[in-house]
Order: sequence, then structure tokens, then C-alpha cells
Amino acid sequence: MIRIFFLLLLFCYSNIAKGNITAKDTLATDFDNLPPGLDLRPWLLSIEDMEGQVTLQQVPTLNFSHNVSLFHDSKKNNGKGHDCWLRLSVKNTGSEDSVVTLFAGWHDHMYWYVQEGRQLQLLVQTGMMHDREDIRRWEHYAFPVKVPPGQTRTFYLHINNQFFNENPLMPVLYDAMQYNNFRNATLAHFRKEAAMIFMLLGMLLVCLTIAIINYIQLPDRSYLYFAAYMLGLILFFALRLDSKPYQLSIFYNWPMLKYYWDVPALLFCFYLMYLAFGKSFLNLQERYPFMERLFNIFASCIGGIIIICFYCIARGLYQVPGMIYSYVYLATLLPLLAVFAALAKRSRHHPLVRFFLFGSLCFYMASFGSFLMLIRPLGLISALGELSAPSLLIIIGVLMQSMFFLAGLSYRNKLVHHERTRTQELLIKQLNKNKELQHKLNEQLEELVKEQTTEILRKKQELEEQRKIHLETEYNKKLTEIELKAIRAQINPHFIFNCLNSIQLFVMQRDYEYAQKYLSDFSYLIRKTLDFSRRNFISLADEIAYLNTYLGLEKMRFENKMEYELAVDPLIATAELEIPAMLLQPYVENAVKYGMTNSRDHIGQLLIQFNQVEPDMLECLIEDNGIGINRSKSMRTLPKHHQSSGMEISSNRAELLNKMYNTGIHIDIIDKSEKNSVESGTIVRILIPQL
Amino acid sequence: MIKAVIIDDERNSRDIISLMLEKYCPQVEIVATASDCADGIATIREFQPELVFLDLEMPDGTGFDVLLGTQDVPPFEAVFVTAFEKKFLHTIRFSEVEIILKPIDRESLTTAISIISARLAAGKSKERYKVLLGNFNNGRNTSTELVLPQLEGDDKTIALATVTYLEAFGDKTLFYLDDHHQIQANRPFRYYADLFSTLRFYQVNNLQMVQMSQIGHVSMEGGNVVMRNGVTLEIAERRKKDLLLHLKQYK
Repeated sequence: MIRIFFLLLLFCYSNIAKGNITAKDTLATDFDNLPPGLDLRPWLLSIEDMEGQVTLQQVPTLNFSHNVSLFHDSKKNNGKGHDCWLRLSVKNTGSEDSVVTLFAGWHDHMYWYVQEGRQLQLLVQTGMMHDREDIRRWEHYAFPVKVPPGQTRTFYLHINNQFFNENPLMPVLYDAMQYNNFRNATLAHFRKEAAMIFMLLGMLLVCLTIAIINYIQLPDRSYLYFAAYMLGLILFFALRLDSKPYQLSIFYNWPMLKYYWDVPALLFCFYLMYLAFGKSFLNLQERYPFMERLFNIFASCIGGIIIICFYCIARGLYQVPGMIYSYVYLATLLPLLAVFAALAKRSRHHPLVRFFLFGSLCFYMASFGSFLMLIRPLGLISALGELSAPSLLIIIGVLMQSMFFLAGLSYRNKLVHHERTRTQELLIKQLNKNKELQHKLNEQLEELVKEQTTEILRKKQELEEQRKIHLETEYNKKLTEIELKAIRAQINPHFIFNCLNSIQLFVMQRDYEYAQKYLSDFSYLIRKTLDFSRRNFISLADEIAYLNTYLGLEKMRFENKMEYELAVDPLIATAELEIPAMLLQPYVENAVKYGMTNSRDHIGQLLIQFNQVEPDMLECLIEDNGIGINRSKSMRTLPKHHQSSGMEISSNRAELLNKMYNTGIHIDIIDKSEKNSVESGTIVRILIPQL
Repeated sequence: MIKAVIIDDERNSRDIISLMLEKYCPQVEIVATASDCADGIATIREFQPELVFLDLEMPDGTGFDVLLGTQDVPPFEAVFVTAFEKKFLHTIRFSEVEIILKPIDRESLTTAISIISARLAAGKSKERYKVLLGNFNNGRNTSTELVLPQLEGDDKTIALATVTYLEAFGDKTLFYLDDHHQIQANRPFRYYADLFSTLRFYQVNNLQMVQMSQIGHVSMEGGNVVMRNGVTLEIAERRKKDLLLHLKQYK
């Protein structure tokens, strides 16, 4: 039942298409009153040249037939190239020359002939692949049908389309007025379409520029893919301008380009670049390695297909890419949805995925919607080929997708920027930390150095002090030694024991008074000696008293063999003036000893003088009348190793005192005979500066 | 009676010597006194005394000068009288010449006189004075000689350099010479130990003292010292290090 009903329906449909057309061989009409837009289908005889072997000579003899299915008023997918001849016989029944125009759409190659006897004469030659120099192509597609009144003429139209999609082929006859209207209306329509395409191109260019600028600023590969996608689209849409003879077409010099970039553009933009972009945009390599692998495989398949397409187009097999595209499109509809779902599920909270998904879905819906919308007018197969015709829906889809992608890229940029800022912040933080650490370390080091320096300084000081102490003790030791030596030198043991001997004698002689005086003087001397030898300086008064006592004792020993005199300058304040202790005694003792050696003068004369030669200089002269130091030395029979050293010790002591107290004690020993040969004796001159 | 002369530059000294001799040694007769070297030599020549009391230091010379100046007169015994002997300590002691220190005490005076008297009585040689002058002229050098007093007979004279070591022998001392001879000296070991302490001698133990120039080598392990002539002596444990130190200084 249903089958019968369907058959009925089909029958009715075909009747609708054919029913009102009644085929006639010759159009016989009065051209003065031509009905508007006269459909020529009933009067057109056609022949299809499948093999392309029909020659110009053969045509008039060929058997033309009615074939209505040849015509279509919108684009049609033939699945192959189309080469056909149309024959129109026109009989002018009117009184004037017919000046009408035949319009049969825009095709690749069109030839307009008129039969003159057995020959065909070419009137017009045009076509989308033909007109290159003159871009005002529009006018060429109107073929003049000029028939004198009462005559019949036969015209041939040879149409050769290589592309599998054929533009509308609907022969219509217009008179001049009608054609003008038709032309104006079509032009207006085209202008609108062209404007839309240009607007779209502008938008895409903006997107491209943005992508390129961004890529320069931030070399992210997804920008490159996006830019390539944009470029592909721009080229695609720009080539769309060439699919009709627009005056604004750009690539009219390379008409083949539109074939080359028809299906491959779709594959390139909506599959290859889309996948590459998605892969790099979503960072699938890190986030979803499986998906990345899938994308890679699919993209390389598409790449291969694109190459195959180019090859087929080059070989002239235009329909093959179309078929391939149809299958790819249909085959990918569901998988793409699955991928979207997987991405959405997998990266729910990743904002970039949202951008990608929204953009993708927009275009998906748009293309699908467009597909659905086109199925009805074009049929299933034709609709696929025209998916990306500049229909409003597709354009909106493309724009939406671009916007989303661009926004996503911006967002991604922002994320990267954030990341970078964060990294920088982290780096700065780390740097600061490092700096702080360094600073701390420096401080610590400084402190350490400081501590060590102080330590070193302290140690140095300690060492210095120790050395000082050491030096002082050394000095003291030396001083004590010298002092001891001085005592030994000064208190000549001979003197001591001789004194005691003398006392002994007085005792034995029972001269007790003398013995007592002698003893008390002696003990005074010993006490003073012990006292002075501990001191470095004594007053001059003390020294004088000491020397007086000493000389008294010596005089007592030697009875009257010696005399002495102590002369002190009355100007000298003897109690305040200080001189080194025990400096003079050895010289006085020597003077006593050698003063008595003079054979000429049996009485030793000793003179000790203290003079103030300068305000701060005390002079002490010790003068005797002995034989003089020179002769005394030469007279000495003692071997050298027995030399006395009392005076030597004194001079050493003077040197030491000079060093210790920075004084300039100066000792001169003068032999009187050197100045005056009459006199003899020695003068010791001691200069003691006053501090 | 012993004929004696006093030579001293101080009258007090001369006075007390004669006073004390008069009092404690009546066998000595002072025939003359002198107050300096030249005077002393003249006096000795004049009186030819058996005994001379000599002061060591006088204005025009020393007691040695007097001895030197009287070598041509008959030899006499001499007693040095000095307030301070240190300067000529070794010179005098080595030659075993009598010396009395001022202030003079009775004991030392009588001892000296008795020794001199004994010598004079025994007619012993006056060799010691030659040794004295020799040592005085040489100073402290290698040819220093040493007179070793003997209980009987003349004293013996040896060169100090030939002494290898000395050893206590009761209250006497034994001198061992480098040619392995030994001589006894009639003086205690301690006396020589003190006398030699400032010379180049080292007391290796309580009873023995070696001359350092005579040491062959020191064996620390054996704790002994081997002398050049092969004699081995023991070193007291506590002196080992000290000996090495002294040896180092000596060399």
C-alpha cells in the first residue's frame, strides 16, 4: 500500500516537473510582445557530449533531442564534468528584427553559434575560465538572438563545464528591457553578497592581524595555526567571489584557483588547522596525551587527503575531492561530537576548553544547520559541497568560532602572562631571598672578620705588652746586674778589708776612740753604698757627703800620704740637684789610687770640683797629681787578663743611664801631661745634664 | 828564729802584722818593712830574709812583681797578705803558696807560720814560687801547672792539662793523669772540687770530677763517660743532662 502511495507521489512529482512543458522544435513567436522571462526549455533540443569527440562540423547533422533534466535553476552537483550542445530554432513571426537575449547562467566555457547553411558561425565565446583580460564579464553571458522578420534561424549553445558542481543552467529569453531589469536585479543581489563577503573578509583580516600581532608579541604556536586558519578562510571566501562573474572578483587571472581551493580549503581550515590549533591551544600534549595522539593521526590523515585532492584536481578529476569531502564530513560528524564531549568531561574546569568548545560547537551547529537547510533545495550530495558557501548561517558560525578562538587565545595569553608574572614574582622573591641571604652572609662574614681583627689586635697588644714586660724585666735585670757590679766595683773589697784591718789595728793598739770613729764612718759608708746602689739618682748633697766620708776613710788608711779637697760651686743648690748614684765613686777611687803613685810628689793631691757650666749642665772634675793615666797604664805590669774594670763599669753604667733616661752624661778622661809637660796627673771630667 | 820582712803599702797593715807576729809567733823576727814594690825588692836584697809577707796590690805594682824582681837572690818563703784574693785565686792556690786574708786572724797566721816553719825546717824546695810566677804570667791557659802537696817529701808539680780526672780518697784526693799515672794530693776532694768548679771540670758523681777536654765520648745508655785514655767513669743519673749541656757549652 505504502509502496503504491510512494509511486504515486513520485509520479505526481515528475508530472509537476514535466507536465507543463510541451516540447516543440521551433520557437515561433512575435518578438514585439515577448512574454517576460520566457522559459526556453520546451524549445531547446540538446545533445550531451560524453566523450568530448563531437566536432563543429558534425553538430548540425547530429540528432538533438529534448532533455529537460539537463536544466536546473540552482547549483547542481553532477558528479562529473558536463559538456552539452543546445539547439534553438527561432522563427520570427513579427514584422521587425528580433532583438532579444538568451541567458543560460554562468559556465566555464560557453560558445554561441548560428547556423549558416551547413556551417556553424561562432558569434560569442565566453566562460568563467575564459574571460581574463576584461573583468567586465557580466555582459558576455547575454547571447544575442537576432532573427529577421519572417525568417527562421537555428542557434547552437555549446556549454562545457569541467567542475562537478554546475551553476544554474536555466535558459531564459529576454527582450532588451527585460534583460536590463534582470541584470540590475542580479547585480544588486550580487553586490549585497559581495559586500557580505567583503565584510566577512575584513573581519577575518582583523582576526588574522590580531593573531599575527599577538604571535609577534608572544611566540605561541596556536597563534600560527589560528592565523593559518584565518588565511585559509580568507582565501576561500575571496575565491567565492570568483564563482560568479562578480566585477569585484580578485583572482580572475587565476580562475583555476577556485577549483583548487574549494574542497581542500574546507579540509584545510575546518579539519587540519582546526585540529592543529586545538592541539596546541589546549596544550593537549600535557593535558590529554591520548587526545593529542588522536588529533595528530587525524590531522596527518587530513593532510594526506588534501594532497590527494590537489592531485585529483590537477588531473581534472574535480568530483573526487567533493566525494571525499562528503564522506569525511559525514564520517566526522559523530566522532567530533564525541571528542567535544570527551574534552568537556576531561577538562571541565579548564577555561580554555570552554572557549574551544563553544567556538567549535558554534561552527558545528552552523555547518550542520546549513547542511540541513541545503538538503532540501540541493539534495543530499549537493548540499555537502555547498556547506561553506557564504550563507549567513555559516558566516555567523565562522565568525563566532573565530571570536571564541580569538578570545580563547587572549585568555590563554592572559594565563601565560599570569604564569609569567607569577614566575617572575617567584623569581624576584627568590632573588630577594638570595640577596637577603647574601646580605646576611656578608654581615656574618664582616662580623667574623671584625671579631678576628679585634682578636688579632688584642693578641698583638698582648704580645706587645708581653714584649714590653719582657724588655722591662730584661732591662731591670741588666740594671740590677750593673748595680751589683757597681757595688762590687765601688766597695772595693780591698778597701773594705783594709778598713777593717785598720780598725783591728786600732783595737789592738787600744786606740778605741779612733777605732770607733773609723768604724762608724765605715758603717755609714757601707749603708749609704747599699742604699744608693738601689737608686738611680741621688741628690748632689748626698753624693758630696758620701765622697767626703769615703775620702776621710781613705785618708785615714794612708795617713798623710794623700790630701783631698771638695770644692762645690756656691751657686749650686746641692740638695735639689740630682745626679746618678754611684757614678763618681769609681773615678774618685782611681784618683786616690793613682794619685799616690807619683814619685816626685809623695803626697797625693786630690781635687774634686762641682761646677755649673751651663744652666742645665753640671760639671764634675776629679783631678789628681799622680803620674797620669797614660804612664800609669804603660807602667802596669799586670798582664792584660788581670786588668781592673771599675772605671769600665762606671762608663757602662753612664751609657745605660743615658739610654734609660735619655740623658747625655758625658765622661772625659784627660792626662794632664798631654796639655802641659810640666804637670802630671789625670783629670776626669764628667758632664751631667740636668733634667 | 825566722828572719822575716813585711812589704805593704799601708802602715796600718804593716803594724798589725808585726804586732800579731810579735804576739802569737815569737819565732818570727821582723827585720825590716817596706811600703811599695821597689822598696820591697831593695829590702829583700839587703836583708835576704827567709820569709816575706807580701801585700798583693800596691801602688807601683803587685806582690808578684816583688817575686819577679828577686829571682836572683837566695830563694825565700813568702806569705801573701791581701784583703781580697779572688783576682789571683787560682794563681795562688794552684802553686800551694800561703795566703792570709785581711783582717788577719790569729788562726790563719799561726797555721801559715807553722807550715812555713816546717818547710824551712825540712829544707823543702822553693819550686812552688816558680810555678806561681809561671801561672801568673800565663794566665788561664793550657800550660797552667798545679802543685800537689804531699805528706812526705817534696810536693809534686803536674800540668793541669794532663789531669784526666780526680777522685776522693778519704780526706785526700787522687789525681789520675792521661798517661794512667795517679798522684795523691794531701787535700780533701771537696777543696779541689770547689777550686775547679769555675774551670772546665765537671763532677760526674759524688766522688769523681773529670776534665772536660779529656772526655772521649759520653754514653747515655750506659750512663757513663769514656775518657780519651780509655778510662770509663760512671755518671750520676741526675747529672747526665747537665753534663751534656756543659759539654755543648764547652765545645
